[in-house]
Amino acid sequence: MTIPSSALGRLLRTPRGLGAAIVLAIIVLAAILAPVIAPYDYAAQNLRNANMDPGALHWLGTDEFGRDLFSRIIYGARTSLAVGVTSISISMVCGMALGAAAGYFGGAFDRVVTMVVDLSWSFPEILLALILIAILGPGLASTMIAISIAYLAQFTRLTRAQVMALKSETYVEATISLGAGSGHVLFRHLLPNAVTPVIVAGMLATGDAIILEATLGFFGLGAQPPTPSWGAMMSSGTAQIFIAPWIIIFPGLAIAITVIAINLFGDALIDALDIRQRLREG
Amino acid sequence: MKTILKAALFGASLCTLMGSSALAQNATFVLGSREVGAPSYNPIKATRLNAANTFIYDRMVIQDADQSFHGQLATSWEAAADGMSWTFKLRPNVKFHDGEPFNAQTIVWWVPKFKGTENAFMTDAIDKVEVVDDLTVRFVMKTPDPNMLFNMASTFMGVPSPKAFDALGDRYGVAGAVGTGPFKLESFTVGQQTVLVRNDAYNSASALSANKGPAKIARLTIREIAEDSTAFLELRTGGVDMLMSVPTDFLPRLSAERGTKVMTLPGTEVYYMPMNTAVEPFTDIKVREAVAFAVNQKEILDSLFGGVGAVANTFLISGLAESKVDPKLMISYDPSRSRKALDEAGWVAGPDGIRAKGGVKLQVKLWTQNGTEFKRVTEVIQAQLKAVGIGADITIFDAATITAQYRRRTEHQLAVRVYSWANADILDWFHSGKRLGHPNHAMWNDPKSEELNEKAMKGSRTWDERVTNFRAYHEHLLSQFVFAPIYQPVQNFAFSEARLSMPAVIRGTRLQGQTVVDIEVKR
Repeated sequence: MTIPSSALGRLLRTPRGLGAAIVLAIIVLAAILAPVIAPYDYAAQNLRNANMDPGALHWLGTDEFGRDLFSRIIYGARTSLAVGVTSISISMVCGMALGAAAGYFGGAFDRVVTMVVDLSWSFPEILLALILIAILGPGLASTMIAISIAYLAQFTRLTRAQVMALKSETYVEATISLGAGSGHVLFRHLLPNAVTPVIVAGMLATGDAIILEATLGFFGLGAQPPTPSWGAMMSSGTAQIFIAPWIIIFPGLAIAITVIAINLFGDALIDALDIRQRLREG
Repeated sequence: MKTILKAALFGASLCTLMGSSALAQNATFVLGSREVGAPSYNPIKATRLNAANTFIYDRMVIQDADQSFHGQLATSWEAAADGMSWTFKLRPNVKFHDGEPFNAQTIVWWVPKFKGTENAFMTDAIDKVEVVDDLTVRFVMKTPDPNMLFNMASTFMGVPSPKAFDALGDRYGVAGAVGTGPFKLESFTVGQQTVLVRNDAYNSASALSANKGPAKIARLTIREIAEDSTAFLELRTGGVDMLMSVPTDFLPRLSAERGTKVMTLPGTEVYYMPMNTAVEPFTDIKVREAVAFAVNQKEILDSLFGGVGAVANTFLISGLAESKVDPKLMISYDPSRSRKALDEAGWVAGPDGIRAKGGVKLQVKLWTQNGTEFKRVTEVIQAQLKAVGIGADITIFDAATITAQYRRRTEHQLAVRVYSWANADILDWFHSGKRLGHPNHAMWNDPKSEELNEKAMKGSRTWDERVTNFRAYHEHLLSQFVFAPIYQPVQNFAFSEARLSMPAVIRGTRLQGQTVVDIEVKR
C-alpha cells in the first residue's frame, strides 16, 4: 500500500502542495547533484578570504575559514536530508513493527511496549537525543540513532492504534476465521491499511528531525568538521555575527525553507488523503 | 498628620537610596570560557581551578608580572644557604571567613594535606613544617627546592580553613569553601555561577593591591558562559560587567564598542597538540615529526588571531628562560620536512591525497573541546594535516567528557589543548610517566625523560641549576616530538567603563584577587 496516485494528483493541484513539492524537489536535487552544482570544494580553506561578503566570486560569501558558503549549504542539504530521512525511516519501520505486534497480539507484550513508549514519550525529543548522544558519543551515526529512537514512540503508538481499530473489522475477522496465520493477517490486511497515516506522520516528523539535527549540530554533537551541517554552520556563525552575519543567516534560511516546505507538503498530503480523523485516533 | 507623611516619604526615599546604593555595589563577572566547568573550590585536591579561587583564598606569596614575589599570608621569608630550609614569617591578626585564626598551626596542618593528591609535587620537597613561634614556620626540606616561591604563589596554594576543610570532607570545595581572601563563598553551582560576598574583615592584601582593606564590591557574581559570543553579547547588553578573558578575535569588535574597555596582560598560555605516543601510528617518531612540522603556526597567528600574541615553537611560554632551547630543536612549520618524514616512515600518498601504508590509511582522530577558539584552531589544523597527507577526524567534546576520555588512555590520538602556567615544571605535569592519560595526554613514558625530569624537579639546588636542568628536559621532549606547539595568546579582559573603575595598572601574572579588591563599582 502506498499513497494513491489520485491523492498525489489532488495534492499537486493545490497551490500550497504544488509550491511545497517544487521547493522540496529543488532541495533534494541540489543535495543529490551537490558535486556538480557546488562551485568550490566545501572543505577547501582559504584563510586569506575569510568572512568575504556575498558577491560574484562567492555568491553567499565565505565563512571564517574562507570556505565558500554556497557550496557548504548545498552539501549541508545532504547532511540534513540524509539524517532526517534515514532516521525517520528507521524510526518508522521499527515503530510500525513494534506497534503492529503490540496492537495485534495484545496481552503482556502490548502492556510492556505501551509502558516503554509512554515512558519515552514523557521526555522531549531533544532531551532524549542529548542523553543518547552522551552515551553513544558525538557524530553523524550517533545523531541518526538518537533521532530514530527519539521519534520511535510516536510511530509505535500510531501504528498500534491503527492496527487495534482495523483488527475488529469484519474482513479481518473473516480472514482469521478462514484460518489465515498472523503473518498473513498482519502483512496482507492490517499493515497496508495502517501505513498511510504513518507515512504522513513520518513526513511531518522529517521536518522536526531536520531541526533536531540542526540543534545537535549547533551544539557540536552532530556531523563533525569539515562535514557541513546547517546547524554547525550556524553555531560557528554566532562568533562572527557582527562581522559576517551571512554565515548564520543563510544556513538558517536553508533550515527554515526546508522545514516549512516539508510541513506544507505534509499538511497538503493530509488534506489530499483526508486522514485527519485517523491521525487524531492515533 | 502632614509631618508623619513627610517623615514616611523621607524614610521611603532614604530606603530607596540605600537600596540602590547597595545594588550599585554588586557586580557580575564572567569567567573565561576555558575555565567553565571547574568542578570545585578545593585548592588542595582540585586539578582545575577557576580565577575566582583567588578571591576566596589568600596564598603565602603572590607573583607579579615581572616574576618578583610579594608576601600575602607571609610577610617575609628566608632560605638557608644550602637550600635545606625555608623560614616564613606570617601575617598577624588574619582570620578565616569562619572566624578561625590563621597562624603557624594552620601551615603545619596544611602542607601535609597535599600528600597523595595530584598537586603533591608542589610540596614534595618539604620534609616537615616546624613551628618557630605562633607566627613563624620553618619548612625543613628533603631536597632543595629552588621553585619554592613559585609553588607557594600557585592558585593551588590558597590556604583553606582547617576546621571547615575537615568538617566538609569530600564535599569541601563544592558545598563550602572557606579562606582568608577578600570574598566569602555564598553559593556555587558547577558550570553556572558562583556568588561571593565581601569579607568585611579582610586585612591581608599584598603589595600588589592599592586597597589594603576590604574589597569595594559588596557582592560579586561569577558567571560561567561557555560560548564566547554569548558572553560578549551579555557585556554589550549590560547583563554583565566584566569578561575576565576575551578571545583575541573579539578584540576589534570590543575595542569598537562604546563604553567597553579592553585591557591586556602578558600571556601565560600555550596552545599545543599532544600526540598519543602509546597508540599507532604515533608510536613511530617519524609520524610524530611529520605532524609537528605540518602545523603552520604563523598562518594560525595571522589568520585566526589577527597577529595578536605569538607563535609557539616550544612547549613553554617565551618569557621563561627554559624556553630558550637550541634553535635546531624548535618546532616551526616545515612542510617539506613533514612530507620527508612520512616518506621515510613508509606512508605513501593515495589518490585522495591521504597517505597509506600496507593498505591502512593515515587517518587519525583529532579531538577538541567546545569553544569557538578551540574549534577554529582545530579545523585549521585539520586542513594543515591534510595538506601533507594526514587525514584527521574531528570530535568535539565538552571539558568534563574529554578528560574522562583521556583517562581511558588509548582512545585519543591527537588533541588540540591549551594550558596556562608560567613555570617550566609544567613539563613534568604534562609529560611525567606517573600521570599517564591525564594530564600526560601524550602517554609519554620514556626512561631518559623520566631521568631528566627527576633531575630537574628534585636535583636542582639553585634557580640557575634548575633552569639548566629543565632546559635539558625540554630539549629532550622537543627532540622526541611528543607534541606540536601552536600559539601563545596574550591575556585580554574587557569591562564596562560605565559600571567599573579599574586600577590603572594591573599587577600580578593574571587578573586575580589582588586586582579585584581595587575594582570599584560606579554609582
